[in-house]
Amino acid sequence: MGLVEDRERFREVGEDRREDLSAFITHGDLGGSAPDRIRIPIKVVDLPAFEYDRRDAGGVGQGRGGQPQPGQPVDPQPGDGDGSEDGDGDGDPGEEGGDHEYYEMDPEEFAQELDEELGLELEPKGKRVIEEVEGDFTDTARAGPKGTLDLDEFFKRGLKRHLATDFDGEYVREGLFVAGADVDDVFAWARGKRIPVSRAWIADAATEVEAEIGGPVAAADRWASFAALESVIDHEPVAVRIRRDGLDGVPFRREDERFRHPEVIEKRERNVVVVNVRDASGSMRETKRELVERVFTPMDWYLTGKYDAAEFRYVVHDAEAWEVDRSDFFGVQSGGGTRISSAYALVAEILEEYPFDEWNRYVFAAGDSENAGNDTTEGVIPMMESIEANLHAYVETQPGGSAPNARHADEVERALGDVDNVAVARVAGPEDVTDAIYRVLSTEDGPDGGERR
Amino acid sequence: MRDDRLEAKREAATLAEHAAAARALAERLGLEPYPVRYWVVDHDEMNELIAYEGFQRRYPHWRWGMNYERQRQTDRHGLGKAFEIVNNDDPAHAFLQESNTTADQKAVITHVEAHADFFANNRWFGLYADRGADGPNAAARLERNADRLSAIADRPDVDRDAVERLIDAVSSLSDTIDQHSPVDAARGAEGDGPGRPSDSDASPADSAAELRARIAELDLSEAVRRDVFDEEWLAGQEGDAEPDEPRPDVLAFLRDHGKRYDADSGKAVDREPWETTVIDAVREEAYYFAGQKSTKVMNEGWATYWESVMMGGEGFAGPDEFLTYADHMARVLGSPGLNPYKLGFELWTHLELRAARRDVIDRLLRVEGVTPDTFHTRIDLDRVAEALAPHPAIAGAGPATLDDLAALAAAGDPRVDSEAVDRALSAREGDLDPDDAPDIERHPWTLLTYEGLAERHYVLSRPEHRGALRSVSRATLAERARYMFDVDRYPTVEAALADVDRTAGWERMFAVRESHNDVTFLDEFLTDEFVREGNYFTYEYSRAGEEFRVASVDADDVRRKLLLRFTNFGKPTIVALDGNFRNRGELLLGHRYNGVALDEEQAKATLERVFELWGRPVNLATIRTEYAEEEVRRAKRRGREPTGTEAGVRFRYDGEAASEHALADDLVALIAADDVDYDTKPDEWLA
Repeated sequence: MGLVEDRERFREVGEDRREDLSAFITHGDLGGSAPDRIRIPIKVVDLPAFEYDRRDAGGVGQGRGGQPQPGQPVDPQPGDGDGSEDGDGDGDPGEEGGDHEYYEMDPEEFAQELDEELGLELEPKGKRVIEEVEGDFTDTARAGPKGTLDLDEFFKRGLKRHLATDFDGEYVREGLFVAGADVDDVFAWARGKRIPVSRAWIADAATEVEAEIGGPVAAADRWASFAALESVIDHEPVAVRIRRDGLDGVPFRREDERFRHPEVIEKRERNVVVVNVRDASGSMRETKRELVERVFTPMDWYLTGKYDAAEFRYVVHDAEAWEVDRSDFFGVQSGGGTRISSAYALVAEILEEYPFDEWNRYVFAAGDSENAGNDTTEGVIPMMESIEANLHAYVETQPGGSAPNARHADEVERALGDVDNVAVARVAGPEDVTDAIYRVLSTEDGPDGGERR
Repeated sequence: MRDDRLEAKREAATLAEHAAAARALAERLGLEPYPVRYWVVDHDEMNELIAYEGFQRRYPHWRWGMNYERQRQTDRHGLGKAFEIVNNDDPAHAFLQESNTTADQKAVITHVEAHADFFANNRWFGLYADRGADGPNAAARLERNADRLSAIADRPDVDRDAVERLIDAVSSLSDTIDQHSPVDAARGAEGDGPGRPSDSDASPADSAAELRARIAELDLSEAVRRDVFDEEWLAGQEGDAEPDEPRPDVLAFLRDHGKRYDADSGKAVDREPWETTVIDAVREEAYYFAGQKSTKVMNEGWATYWESVMMGGEGFAGPDEFLTYADHMARVLGSPGLNPYKLGFELWTHLELRAARRDVIDRLLRVEGVTPDTFHTRIDLDRVAEALAPHPAIAGAGPATLDDLAALAAAGDPRVDSEAVDRALSAREGDLDPDDAPDIERHPWTLLTYEGLAERHYVLSRPEHRGALRSVSRATLAERARYMFDVDRYPTVEAALADVDRTAGWERMFAVRESHNDVTFLDEFLTDEFVREGNYFTYEYSRAGEEFRVASVDADDVRRKLLLRFTNFGKPTIVALDGNFRNRGELLLGHRYNGVALDEEQAKATLERVFELWGRPVNLATIRTEYAEEEVRRAKRRGREPTGTEAGVRFRYDGEAASEHALADDLVALIAADDVDYDTKPDEWLA
């Protein structure tokens, strides 16, 4: 199609063939320039045109909250990578700029970019076992090249099927001669004896019998009852019959075909469970909650991008802890006090579902560092030590710096600051978010994930 | 694939119903849209359509590939959701993305109906559309260009890269056309026809172009064409390349008089006919898009306005969809920068408000004893507001008010659709199959006429505009009173209000949407009040501060600055001055200097593209402001802006090197405009 070709031509713009255009290529950002947005670099080729000098032209803006004073600088300064500025003035009605608020980026790309941006190089560890090909032809599958058809298996399955479906027709037929027994009675009786016969087969047989005796089967009374029949004639098992008559025909079916294929060799899947913990007590007001979201969301994304499989669990707590959905996690606020150890108790419980030898485990907790009495030293720290995880992080969100009675972060840092798998980060405002993410993600213990000090 | 189509079909069936209802509502509201064909597409098809600027096929060019890549990234990362694409054509074609919610689809449909009305009724669209009996026929024309240009690119004797380069060059100049004239003004209408300007208007150059166009239409093989209509013969038909008047349609001038530089011989040679075909095609499309570019604010504002009336005001969004819709609307209006949706929507509302208010004021000023001075004291504006509220049965039209409406209908009230009321009543009584009666539960508007709907949505009775009468200034009143004759007096306020025309606002809007474009629209309706209430301001670059600073909050300044942004697509006006400059066959272009300088880097790069279309050296005359280094230093030290001197300059490109020359005084005088000033800097920047 035309567009495929157009895309190919576009790729070549700036390369050998259309080198003349390389001067007009800019690598713009998709999604605007605000710091909390994710930038996606794209190649843009702007053909030159007669334009006004930007500085000479000036422009019109709209003040937010009141008219600005002449002389004050324009914020943000116009023209710095503002993609929505509609510079080429093209007029597609219906193209819509708006919606930039969501982090909707491919997590793998995001992880890659964050790696580049922050100089991180987190090598995910393989844990749970998943399959991977290569080995001897000892396993079988339902499809494959004819040459690998497993004849033994094929025959065995056919035989099994034969055994499972064959039955002693004469024996069942005899049931029709029981006094007063109609088709349904015979069917119930046969089934009761686990003879794999269908009702239709019996009905057919009954028609034959009726033709034979010239009356309804119920009238046939060779046997007084089924019990009388059974006492005289034995049901002959199929195996006996095959041994006697030989195997005249094994019903081979396509579905019995098994093809040999190489044995599966185990490979480790890199999977991760992240438990996000958040203080939801009364002191966690909106700005603090928002800071938590700003730190946690990218970290979750990062780990999603780094691992083959990622699971997330969300725990909020005040003096008690409970598990919530992601949709509620960042919004919940309760009134109560704070006991952070309650959350770790729940975390330990949750993590039992994810054995540490199969899962990479991350525990991210956030709050304003306020905690009850000596809960940190007596409750939290021992638990952080006992819960096995690649990383325990505590992110303190305290807009405007720390408060006097907020010591949790300090105490954790003092006790565990030099432990490889513990990170403490402090966020006072949006500008600290990137540093905090870096601090947390660049802390992790050794490559095997298991070793602890 | 088949499953996809099934899904699209199912979606299409439900949407068809909404589209029919939206059309009925739009027409009842007084809109007269082109017919709209709706297509349901998946997101990838949508991305392709966006890449092709709303069409299914375009000529081959890397730009569409770029658009597509960008759109795909945007789509993939959820950075912008494509809601709708509609193209200006009769019938219009609109594309709906099948994965969108019903609320979004309904919003899009109402939006599209309003766009289609704008396409059909706006004069600036008419420039392209009125091309004979078959209307704009845009999709077909663009498709034909696509066919022609791909055929050219595929020809063995044509270098495909050369075609692409040529398209690039013409695209660089796609705004240097005469957007105020129909595309055919500079040449004959294709396929002949009475729509063509009379022969007496056509300059010799125009008729030569027409000749070429006609030859192109004949669809002859190249060999025959070269034999019969060789370039020498054509040249004989052409006039000379010295326009008496500066020609704003630079592209047409280049097409008619330009040549191609032949690197082997080092000379300008006549173009191949296919080259002219390419130039013509791209130029024609530039004219098609000019209509949209020059009415972007009006058109988007118009669509947004009617979308909100239909979706919100008339409950076209079901109660369960309303929140989704409100969210959609908030995002459309809230996106940052100078947002045409928002600016347009606000201007239209403002315009409606002023027209309705003027109507009321005119009537109140004719009440005995009321003068501009006594207006605010003699008239109880609270009571006026009450009296202007819509009739309860009209406001709440629906099953509950059916009896009241029937009573009004019986009295011959023009606001009620008596037939619809009658049918609804019959259905209620069981005399009529409900399927044959209007669904007044979901579509209560069917009970009302245009007048009724106008009253239901009367701008002065909307809560946010209740204060509009109170805030009218005495000066405004006095001005209105001055033009009023002392006749038709009303004895009481009540009598005056009884005559108020609830359709005044909409009628004014309809009139304006017919005749205006963005420039005239902004010029006329961007009032002081509007600028003040929207906190609009202008900014300028401070050379001393090396940053952009707020320059002015004055309405005139804001309006002028906005006009700069919208006049000529916000681009400087470039005209062809001379095709035989210095008697050497050089081209001289002139920048009509309005006080704002050119971006020189871009201008020089563009000049290189012009060379490709002219084949001989090209020149551009402009004026720039030069600042002496010493002056800039001194100004910085003193915290003031440096004073520069304006100087004429001529850029020249001869195919190899660019050079700069002083500009002769007579040319400076020719290109400088003396009555425009877009500089809104205050005399003294505040410290």
